[in-house]
Amino acid sequence: MNPVARILRKRWFIHLLLCTPLFYVFVPALQNDTEYFADPAKYLLEYFGLASTYLFVALSMITPLRKIFPKFAIAKSIAIRRRQIGVSVFLYALLHFLMYFAYTGSWSEFVKDWDKLFILSGIVGFTLLLALAATSNNWSVRKLGGRNWKRIHRLAYLIMLLLIYHQATQEKTGYRETAKVFAPLILLQTVRIAIYGKHALKNRAKHDSTDSL
Amino acid sequence: MHIIKNKPWNLPESSATSETDFINRRRFLKAFGLGSSALLGQSLTHAATYGFPSKVNREFRADGLEPTEYDLIKGYNNFYEFSYDKGEVQDLANRGWQTEPWAIEIKGHIKRPQKIDVNELIKKAGGIEQRVYRFRCVEAWSMVIPWDGFQLSTLIDMVEPTEKAKYLKFSTFFDPNSAPGQNGGSIDWPYVEGLTIEEARNELSFLATGIYGKALPNQNGAPIRLVVPWKYGFKSIKSIVKIEFTNSRPMNTWQDLQPMEYGFYANVNPTVDHPRWSQATERIIGSGFLSKRKDTLMFNGYEEQVSHLYEGLNLKRNF
Repeated sequence: MNPVARILRKRWFIHLLLCTPLFYVFVPALQNDTEYFADPAKYLLEYFGLASTYLFVALSMITPLRKIFPKFAIAKSIAIRRRQIGVSVFLYALLHFLMYFAYTGSWSEFVKDWDKLFILSGIVGFTLLLALAATSNNWSVRKLGGRNWKRIHRLAYLIMLLLIYHQATQEKTGYRETAKVFAPLILLQTVRIAIYGKHALKNRAKHDSTDSL
Repeated sequence: MHIIKNKPWNLPESSATSETDFINRRRFLKAFGLGSSALLGQSLTHAATYGFPSKVNREFRADGLEPTEYDLIKGYNNFYEFSYDKGEVQDLANRGWQTEPWAIEIKGHIKRPQKIDVNELIKKAGGIEQRVYRFRCVEAWSMVIPWDGFQLSTLIDMVEPTEKAKYLKFSTFFDPNSAPGQNGGSIDWPYVEGLTIEEARNELSFLATGIYGKALPNQNGAPIRLVVPWKYGFKSIKSIVKIEFTNSRPMNTWQDLQPMEYGFYANVNPTVDHPRWSQATERIIGSGFLSKRKDTLMFNGYEEQVSHLYEGLNLKRNF
């Protein structure tokens, strides 16, 4: 196993990696960045939203990478820590949500915007993330059973769609940034479906017919 | 007897930082790696300097307005010609973009079409004065800005519009070599804005050439920009190179880009939401992390001066 793959197996290393956005958030304040001081709540809201999005994209790339390159050791190592990464996606989304609350300034302002699809997509996505994070522990996996657990966690694909919508709507001109962020993930998923889609469908059909539910 | 009471933005000369001190301080900060990179390597441009120091016009300052910190006014800019990133504009707009000398072309349905240097224009307009206006961005944040400049109606009288002149169409500069944002994106450059001639003649409509008694910084739209305080900020077009008096309503850049979200009038209106957020309240720039929002005022608090312009107009439809 190569050294990168080995260190990625360490729990403390992944923890550290997942915390980097928390360290980096102090940089604009130290640098006297006017964008930060003009409206800190807005700055942080966007910052944590992006952190969560990037982590979500990275997380969603693991499975297709594993399928397309079964011998890729780094992907294998990260795959072991998938649930941990998933929980961090939720935690950054939680920070994003709290900053949004601070940004609106009060409860009455906060609920005022729920009729806007842009805001609603974020709230629904966040709620789904909460459900997935809450079941991302060994006890839940045992309790639910592997198959059910997997089924529930396929909600990640719905979250992905909501997230793409949420991200794309906040752009003011075109969808360039969103395209950039999600391009690698969409590319990998497409390749995965192209290579394994047929195969997987056939397999599932076989399973469904033999499984007594 | 006329008593002059100094307002908080009216700093005595002694408290101002001299230009050399300012530059030396930046160097010091740079040496220790502390300075915001946005301010480094900035060449000082002069923009339109005629008429300073300006006199404060107290008629145009609503009670209780507390001007936003100068650093925030010049460090938080929506200027897509340079960047989508508000904190980055101040750096990118000062990497050699020349705002002096600067000429404005005035044409269309007028008796005196002309191309005139901006300092010459200020001279002809009779100099500049300072007004303190609220500034409300469509993104639901606001500032209070002490602008220096002159009333737009002075320019209109100067060029003598004909009967056919119903609208004013403003265009900003086009120079992709200096303004990296103009190299692409979804916007059809250059940026264009428009007003009806009645709106343009309103006493509030202002051509600004400075902020806080100093020539406009590049990132704020040097050397000359429009200020229409009862409308969302994007109507107040920056760095104007052309004013055309037209007969038909010009298509403004944001309406062209997103007609469902931005209209021609773009009057500040707390009762008409943006499709993605409420416009009922606003964030006050520089007020800190846990600050409450402020209620947005109809026509941004200038109802008395401008509401007659829109009598009989459905403001929900004509947003």
